[in-house]
Amino acid sequence: MSVALAVAVGGLFAVGTFLLLRRDLVRVVFGLAVVSQATFVYLIAMGGVAEGARELVPVLDTHGGGVPEIADPVVQALVLTAIVISFGTTALALVLSYRAYEENETIDVTEWVR
Amino acid sequence: MRTTARVTVPIVLVLSISLFLQGHNLPGGGFIGGVLTTAALVLIYVAYDLDYLESGVLGQEVESGTSIFEHRTVLAYRRTLLLGLLVVFGSGVAGFLVGDPFLTQTYVHLEGVPIYHEVELASALVFDLGVFLVVVGSLLTIVSVVSAE
Amino acid sequence: MSRLVIAPLLVVLGTAVLTLALGRRPQLQRATSVAGVVGYVAAVSVAVWTFVLAPAAPGAATYQVGDWPAPFGITLVLDGLSAFMLTIAAAVGLASMLFAVRYVTPENQRVYYHPLFHLLLVGVTGAFLTGDLFNLFVWFEVMLIVSYVFVAFYGTDYATAASFRYLVLNLFGSALMLVAVGGLYATTGTLNMADMARRLANPAAYGVDPAPVVGLSALLLAVFALKAGLVPFQFWVPAAYTAAPPPITAMFAGVTKKVGMYAVVRLYFTVFAGVPVSVDLAGSLGASPLAFLAPVLAAMGIASILVGGFGAVGQDRLEGVFAYSSVGQVGFIALPIAVAAAADPTGSLRGVAIAAALVFALHHALVKGLLFLSSAAVQDATGTDSLRDLGGVAGHSPVLSGAVFVALLSLIGLPPLTGFFGKFLAFDTAVRGLAVDLGVLSTLALVALLLGAVLTILYATRVWVDGFWGPETPAVETSTVDQGQVAVLVALAAAVVLVGVGFDPVYRFAETAASAAIDTEAYVDVVGLDGGGGA
Repeated sequence: MSVALAVAVGGLFAVGTFLLLRRDLVRVVFGLAVVSQATFVYLIAMGGVAEGARELVPVLDTHGGGVPEIADPVVQALVLTAIVISFGTTALALVLSYRAYEENETIDVTEWVR
Repeated sequence: MRTTARVTVPIVLVLSISLFLQGHNLPGGGFIGGVLTTAALVLIYVAYDLDYLESGVLGQEVESGTSIFEHRTVLAYRRTLLLGLLVVFGSGVAGFLVGDPFLTQTYVHLEGVPIYHEVELASALVFDLGVFLVVVGSLLTIVSVVSAE
Repeated sequence: MSRLVIAPLLVVLGTAVLTLALGRRPQLQRATSVAGVVGYVAAVSVAVWTFVLAPAAPGAATYQVGDWPAPFGITLVLDGLSAFMLTIAAAVGLASMLFAVRYVTPENQRVYYHPLFHLLLVGVTGAFLTGDLFNLFVWFEVMLIVSYVFVAFYGTDYATAASFRYLVLNLFGSALMLVAVGGLYATTGTLNMADMARRLANPAAYGVDPAPVVGLSALLLAVFALKAGLVPFQFWVPAAYTAAPPPITAMFAGVTKKVGMYAVVRLYFTVFAGVPVSVDLAGSLGASPLAFLAPVLAAMGIASILVGGFGAVGQDRLEGVFAYSSVGQVGFIALPIAVAAAADPTGSLRGVAIAAALVFALHHALVKGLLFLSSAAVQDATGTDSLRDLGGVAGHSPVLSGAVFVALLSLIGLPPLTGFFGKFLAFDTAVRGLAVDLGVLSTLALVALLLGAVLTILYATRVWVDGFWGPETPAVETSTVDQGQVAVLVALAAAVVLVGVGFDPVYRFAETAASAAIDTEAYVDVVGLDGGGGA
């Protein structure tokens, strides 16, 4: 499980970095989004991951029943917050890149005047 | 497209409300509920258009020719956003009145309510309502303004 | 009582919401906005006085948001260091807002200027107050999202391009910070800074392996250096500073940058200082991550001073000169911190060096705020801020020029202005640093400080001679200076003089702040980890 997560994190970071380094504005924004996803997966992995079992997933248990042994809730809260933030910034980045495209009349960052 | 929208939009809306209501102690909450509601409304926009909600559902005249920022629907969204912010801030400060720190939450169990028998009312729900309004308002403003470009 | 800790945050947050609600009534919105900043200043001063400066003050206070006990809930901590930084933020924020009301056109003020300004203050205040690593990240994001919008505020091709680059860099930086935060959580099992400090100081008792902290702290250093605009992360600074509205640039230079430096001091000296892990990297040897911080930060500081100094000399526009100068000045703040990191933890040098950095930060905030605002006033009056087209402003509007003159003298470091004490203390620590084992770096640091001082004299003189002396150019002759703007500038200049003349209490405040920064035990105690305490 850890190996799979490590590979996923590594792969996402690689793809994100590749996209970030493109000249195309929209690709850069996608790159940012992918890099943030990579950090989210990484954060979840930092909470420690065990094989999925019913007892480990609090979602499957409801009120009233005994408190099951649960996965670390802190990282989930962190990731949730981080997702909301990155959601906001990605929206801003997309709008901004559209505006920058309008003003500079090209989506190739190397052709921007200054 | 329109058929799909007609079927899925009510389902998505109901799901979003249920997620919103259970948010304070089960997965869900204001943010995800708001996003789902927005998704439902955006689906309507894609299938019909921006004015459909006003003309088709509410049966009002649609004024045309003004800039998108002055558009009545967009103004309504911005008011929603603002209302949400006020609710969030107010719910945080409200605890001061009874001497609790900022953002302190509490809950009460109501018993004997018809149909449900027992309802858990949490003050976190008010905060969540604010978040819900902020999310719906801001996202729909963004979507409608950007798509109008 | 402890509610005072959160008061500044709530005041600006409430004002942000209110100004947004009043968007349809510009007059009322402006009045609310100014009242909000005044309320912020009042809240900060009362809180700082009650908890830190008053004779019987406890020295620090905490606030547990939502009544969840530390380390589980979100803790706000107001100690000496936070208090010092908040004071800087309040002073610059007030000047910037008063100036903006007169400077930014009414149409532009309506475009969310006021709500955004207050949200910027919210982010900054939160970052200074939080006692939780992840919350630091969240407040950074609040601050940065507003910054992106402000850089793109005028919506020109230049502004949008600058904003986009700024955004991409900082989003990547934030991702790195998240990685570091996650790593620290996995290593120590906590996010509360006091709890983390406690666990790291005594790793065996808590079953923590401190080795990864060195690498993770390096990651954090890179992120904070990016936010502070230290070389080699300085390249976003000039573009972003010249693109943003000038009152906001004053905030960026005076406050936002300091958040990066604050985070370095807070995390390294309060949290990581006690980590018993031996570092043996190229050229650095020591018993805590600080050993690694010292040479790296010293090199960054030296490079910043040089790049900023030479860059400023080569600029043609006033704003450009000051933007590059600001890169250099952050180097002046970074160098004493580097010396402090290399100093003996038990000796007095560490405290003195951090106090020097803090004094310089205060000086830089006031003076650079004043300079950015006055370059805006000049541009507003004459329509240009290019040194080629300016000349004779001194004869045309002596009061404005007087304020600039004070600022430039302070920048150079003439007594009794703030700059003198800033530079004096920086040199003092660098000389004392010679005694510390920083190797060749401490000699280099001294040389860089000297060279930086000379370069400062060079570009300050150039600004004064080219822009303010000489015959009046056509642009200056026909200009009229806004009296309201000048009044703000004069008030700021008076503050620069006053802080310089009455330096003693300021220095004592800085010393309190510095000792709060290095006293990990007091920090852990005040947070009251065993639950319930503090509130």
